[in-house]
Amino acid sequence: MATTMITTLDRSSRAAARGLSDISIRNLFIIPTVLFLIVFNIFPLIYSLGYSFTDFRASTNAPANFVGLQNYRDLLNDPYVWSNFAITAKYVIVSVAGQLLVGFGVAMLLNRDIPLKGLITTLLLLPMMLSMAVVGLFWKLLYDPSWGVINYALGLGNFEWLADPKMALYAVALTDIWMWSPFVMLLSLAGLSAVPKHLYEAAAIDRAGPFYTFFRITLPLVAPILMIAVIFRTMEAFKTFDLAYILTSQPTAELISIRLYKMAFQEWQTGRSCAMAYIVLIMVLAITNIYVKYLNKVKER
Amino acid sequence: MAAVRTSSEIGFNRVAIVAVLVVTIIFLAPIYWIASTAFKPRNLATTIPPTVVFQPEISPFVKLFTKRSQLRSPPTPEEYAAAPWWERVVFDGGEKIVRDGKGQVQWSGYPSRFLNSLIIAITSTVLAVGMGTFTAYGFSRFKVKGEADLLFFILSTRMLPPVVVAIPMFLMYRAVGLNDSHIGLIILYTAFNLSFSVWLMKGFMDEIPKEYEEAALVDGYTRMEAFFKIVLPEAATGIAATAVFCFITAWNEYAFALIMTNRRAQTAPPFIPSQVGSGLPDWTVIAAGTFLFLLPVAIFTFLLRNHLLRGMSFGAIRK
Amino acid sequence: MRKLVTSVLAGIGLTLACGTSVYAQEKSLTIFWAEWDPANYLQELGNEYEKETGVKINVETTPWSDFQTKAFTEFNAHGDAYDLVVGDSQWLGAGSTGGHYVDLTDFFKKHDLGNVMAPATVKYYAEYPGNSGKYWAIPLEGDAVGWSYRKDWFEDPKEKEAFKAKYGYDLDVPKDFKALRDIAEFFYRPDQKRYGIAIYTDNSYDAMAMGFENALFSYGGDLGDYSTYKVDGHINSEKAVAALDAYKELYKFTPPGWAKSFFVEDNQAITENLAAMSMNFFAFFPSLINEASNPNAKNTGFFANPPGPDGDQFAALGGQGISVVSYSQKQDEAMKFLEWFIKDETQKKWAALGGYTCSAAVLKSPEFQSATPYNKAFYETMFKVKDFWAVPEYAELLQQLNQRVYPYMIGGSGTAKETLDALAGDWNATFKKYGRGQ
Repeated sequence: MATTMITTLDRSSRAAARGLSDISIRNLFIIPTVLFLIVFNIFPLIYSLGYSFTDFRASTNAPANFVGLQNYRDLLNDPYVWSNFAITAKYVIVSVAGQLLVGFGVAMLLNRDIPLKGLITTLLLLPMMLSMAVVGLFWKLLYDPSWGVINYALGLGNFEWLADPKMALYAVALTDIWMWSPFVMLLSLAGLSAVPKHLYEAAAIDRAGPFYTFFRITLPLVAPILMIAVIFRTMEAFKTFDLAYILTSQPTAELISIRLYKMAFQEWQTGRSCAMAYIVLIMVLAITNIYVKYLNKVKER
Repeated sequence: MAAVRTSSEIGFNRVAIVAVLVVTIIFLAPIYWIASTAFKPRNLATTIPPTVVFQPEISPFVKLFTKRSQLRSPPTPEEYAAAPWWERVVFDGGEKIVRDGKGQVQWSGYPSRFLNSLIIAITSTVLAVGMGTFTAYGFSRFKVKGEADLLFFILSTRMLPPVVVAIPMFLMYRAVGLNDSHIGLIILYTAFNLSFSVWLMKGFMDEIPKEYEEAALVDGYTRMEAFFKIVLPEAATGIAATAVFCFITAWNEYAFALIMTNRRAQTAPPFIPSQVGSGLPDWTVIAAGTFLFLLPVAIFTFLLRNHLLRGMSFGAIRK
Repeated sequence: MRKLVTSVLAGIGLTLACGTSVYAQEKSLTIFWAEWDPANYLQELGNEYEKETGVKINVETTPWSDFQTKAFTEFNAHGDAYDLVVGDSQWLGAGSTGGHYVDLTDFFKKHDLGNVMAPATVKYYAEYPGNSGKYWAIPLEGDAVGWSYRKDWFEDPKEKEAFKAKYGYDLDVPKDFKALRDIAEFFYRPDQKRYGIAIYTDNSYDAMAMGFENALFSYGGDLGDYSTYKVDGHINSEKAVAALDAYKELYKFTPPGWAKSFFVEDNQAITENLAAMSMNFFAFFPSLINEASNPNAKNTGFFANPPGPDGDQFAALGGQGISVVSYSQKQDEAMKFLEWFIKDETQKKWAALGGYTCSAAVLKSPEFQSATPYNKAFYETMFKVKDFWAVPEYAELLQQLNQRVYPYMIGGSGTAKETLDALAGDWNATFKKYGRGQ
């Protein structure tokens, strides 16, 4: 296998003689984790793949029949499933973009000498410390036109956040933005604080405008961290379930994971839901792959 | 910063501080609402306009910790007088505390679930962060064949929707007897957090200059010694940050906790929403459960706040 | 690092300590149900059983929204965590054909339960397939949809006068669906923050379907033929179309934001002074007569689901029967508990504790009917109930109904006829897929 990239130890040295070799350390550090993850993921993956070609229903004791690609064909021909995908795409874009905008914006504001900065930052992190189900429960209450605080505070009267089919998805995304912007904020803050100060000083000496400084210095240097935030938030947004399920049941806000839950745990169409999961997995893999490629490119610059 | 501040810069700083305050208030308003509801009498929980000034009550917490049912007939004055204060509070709310066959007060599931949550979240966080740190170091310092692919594989373990993983995992757990056990959930959450932990820690490890260890190696340290004595202290900030994220995830996990556990290893998140069961939700109890459950994470994060602010840079930025 | 290691070890130690079961030592039975008051009553009843026999009864619960998921995950893995389960009526098909429930036919016949329990409860909570004479559960908690209303609004002389002037008849508890609609319209006053009616609209599981069934059955329509699985001419009949339009009409008079409402929201409509009338399962009414949870408790009245235009009067069924889980190690103990449970005095005790007994004798007794303001309406309703499909694939049928009806109800797309024709098409396809009927 590969050779170490750091100075190899002098074989006759005392340290090399009594310590483990670099290769054994590398293996010791990496292999358990990889094996653990393989064991933990390979079984569900094979199980799901196998059943995705059958009409298996976990709720009955009837044997599973092999149906070939029927499940995949049916799903890809189902207009409802396509609309679920479209809705999910819209949701992921709106909510991740919102989190990026709010989170990064707040980080820019916080990136200066502010009294009680530590306390304020911790307080701003509170929303993401709650469980999704609880957030859904409380926001449903807050959004209610009759007994919710939001309409009262904003003077919106009977504005229907969740009951209006056009609004519901955005209301869910708004809650998600509230909950997860702090995550992006924290990562951005870290990135911003790592931008070497001398770059700003140089820009100031050159009398560069704030826009120039932002787009030429700040953004490129923070971009890799923002990318990591985007990768994780996109993956999570794709899987959003509890929050949306509790907030609304509008067909216009039915995310793919809600459909998947109904198929797997209400209808018990195990085979079909496995096929659906594979379709989702392939999509997320593809999207993440693009992100990671881009991330590596950004890092290289 | 430039030595001389221009007046416009100072002006902008003021604007920024005001903006930060406004944002903080907006973000915290729902949290404040939850926290204040946890201390309200039930009839003030959902008033419009919201009740801001009220006599704080402890009754939501009494209710949170006990099993209750609707009072079908009011207690006699003697019963009421003989009852301890915490039972009277429940009577006042139109409910009674459920007792078992021996007349013992029935606790709600909350205290034991809270304890389970602590055990499971802490242990799995320690494991995920620990393993993640080792692995990240391995990837950061040594050449690994197919490193990019392996890292991507590690990332991908977090992509499958949990709904789908749940059925096969449940069957697997039952087969090996891990369902409804603390160890089962700990392993599960460790696996779940590991990808995140490896990715974050790899960023931190890349940040730590290799020269430090090399100097140590030359001084006669073994690689292991160098790792524990030189690298780990340097990575402390990263470890803290990763731990916060992993803890939050494990602490709040809902779906697997619901499916995999029955009575021994149940955690608190599935319990909190159960308070809507009897026809009218008691928002004060839900808020009390949420508020208490928020405290450990909030305290944990607050204690680590300096690490969070100082250390996060993920090595994404080149020197 | 040493700290880390210590805490890991401590964690593992604790885990092992907690791992040993404390439940195994004594004789006990575990009953699984949803998290609500009746489960507490059942626990209290179980305490009595423990006093008599020494066998401990543990009623375990989970929130309603997770109940089905949790129960079937356990069944599907052939788990023995629960000895008995108080399952929804729709689960009978999956429970029996999936081999999860123990066949109780002999038990049923031996104790003549077909006559001891109210007929509708036997038909819907116990028997599967319909008219097969095979029984899988003992009716435990009867339930159906009824209505609560604001007596003070209804009895206000000014309102009565205005109502009479507008509609030409007296304002009173609605005699039929037309009156229900008129009253809802009459009290619909957004400018006063008062609205006419609260109905079920949540389509994430069965709430909206249950709500719609109340209109459908009272209009004389039905979902289909439960023995031949023929749905054309049933679910899309003229009566069914009229019923769907009637239900959609009611949605107009609901409070704002009423697009995902179930028992919680409907009860809140009464407590928060939002609606004149509110649909709900009887099992959720106790909190409405409790002054601590409902400030309007004294002014809240109850009535049964009204008849439709042709005088048919039915209501959607809720409620559950108790079944023995076939994977339980303690089936004999479980059967002994059931023998005790069906005794007359136990049923009386069950009703006194607050359970909705299904025992015909207890239901008919004056003590029961006068025990609460809604027990009489409950008694009347329990002999006029119909239920959703109970086939193992009922959830698919439910999902199709939600998918077709909700956009029409809430979004206003298409017509009732188109909606129900499409639904009939979906259901035909599903029945064909599972080889039923035709």
